[in-house]
Amino acid sequence: MAPRTITPFGPQHPVLPEPIQLKLTLEDEKVVDVLPAIGYGHRGIEKACELNEYPKNIYLCERICGICSAIHGMTYCDVVEKLWPLEIPPRAKYLRTIWAEMSRTHSHLLWLGLAVDALGFESMFMQYWRIREKVLDILEMTAGHRVTQSVAVVGGLRRDIDDDQKKHCIEVLKDVRKEAEALNNVLVNDYTVKARTVGKGVLSYDQAIALGCCGPHLRASGVKEDCRQLGYWAYGDLSFEPITAPGGDTYSRVAVRCGELLQAIDLQLEAFAKMPEGDIAAKPKGSPPANEAATRIEQPRGELFYYAKGNGTRNLERLRVRTPTYANIPSLLVMLPGCEMADVAIIVLSIDPCISCTER
Amino acid sequence: MSMLSTVVSNLFGGPATLMYPVKPREPYARTRGQIALNESLCDGCGNCARRCPAVAIEIVKEKKQWILYPDRCIICEVCADACNRNAIEVLPKWRTPFYKREQIVFQSKGGKEVKEKAGECPVEEV
Repeated sequence: MAPRTITPFGPQHPVLPEPIQLKLTLEDEKVVDVLPAIGYGHRGIEKACELNEYPKNIYLCERICGICSAIHGMTYCDVVEKLWPLEIPPRAKYLRTIWAEMSRTHSHLLWLGLAVDALGFESMFMQYWRIREKVLDILEMTAGHRVTQSVAVVGGLRRDIDDDQKKHCIEVLKDVRKEAEALNNVLVNDYTVKARTVGKGVLSYDQAIALGCCGPHLRASGVKEDCRQLGYWAYGDLSFEPITAPGGDTYSRVAVRCGELLQAIDLQLEAFAKMPEGDIAAKPKGSPPANEAATRIEQPRGELFYYAKGNGTRNLERLRVRTPTYANIPSLLVMLPGCEMADVAIIVLSIDPCISCTER
Repeated sequence: MSMLSTVVSNLFGGPATLMYPVKPREPYARTRGQIALNESLCDGCGNCARRCPAVAIEIVKEKKQWILYPDRCIICEVCADACNRNAIEVLPKWRTPFYKREQIVFQSKGGKEVKEKAGECPVEEV
């Protein structure tokens, strides 16, 4: 038996955008055991939310994550609305869906870029990020900011999308879809990408369920489960079917995200076509009542869970956030042992880790 | 071969980047760049300061001063939405970088005058 060494992977590592450490036990180049360690980016946002008045927390929750900030803000509003409960206008439901899917589009483009970069395919990385800029530009045009959109408000939304903006968004999205489809065809059929990803980091159907995985990571193991099936916001009116892949390996996770990228653009185009006219916000009456509420929203990385407890005052008594990466990290303990050291980077990236979400 | 169409379109499509700062990027009309106060319209009611999630606005009623802390401001536009007199405008132009924690003091003129447009926000000297 070859001697064992323990090699730290992270918290600072070229493929990791955020700090997480994996203590890898290696036998020569082969990983035999892994121990993930988190705790490098904790900011105490849940506690800070208890100290603020409830409308101010939207902007704090948006800063939990830099990629899906719009979804965090809207999910916070969704859970606080459930305390009354408060029904939001139909147009607001469609607008929330559109902004959520825009976030998913740019998040998946970002991930696909990072994943091919980890494989050494740098020209493809630049192509994905080039078309991602177009999505960020329409986010800035409609919401006012590329990263922290700050459009959500308890009861609906603060900003509307007018007809000119809608027309421009549809044009850009059709363009992005065409370009993304061409790049996806290259990616999923590329010989080198297949050689680096097929059969690497396999997670079976039963293991994915037993470990409580979520999001595209779960669907890549063949489990047809997506929070959008609950029909929240406008998803109930849209033709939505979860995208799955049977393999459970890194290649399947790439394929699922390629499919979801195009699906997110289709959902936006459908939502734009079906969006009704009307108000964009309902006014909440008084403070949130003493009540408890929970909500589940599909983030680009998986299921986002918010729990809120009101006590009749302007401040919440408790806010609890459970993010998808936290649910997906345990699957690394199954996926990494047995793989080569060189494959660790792409397998870790294949769960689309967002550590700032995980630690809050 | 499947990448050929992308390669050809990139070859003849020109660069995807801008020669910044020689050619600046034009912001959109809705872009949140910086906060500016129209001193003539502000009556110092304090709605903006109470609702600001970042505690970036302070109002000194005795001196009729409206003070903005630009290092705290997250440009969320809540103050502009909260203002009943439309005295706060969000300009699409980004603030220049600064090295020191400073405050920008606006002298409120009691809200007696009415003006159409907000003035340019003073930018710190660095």
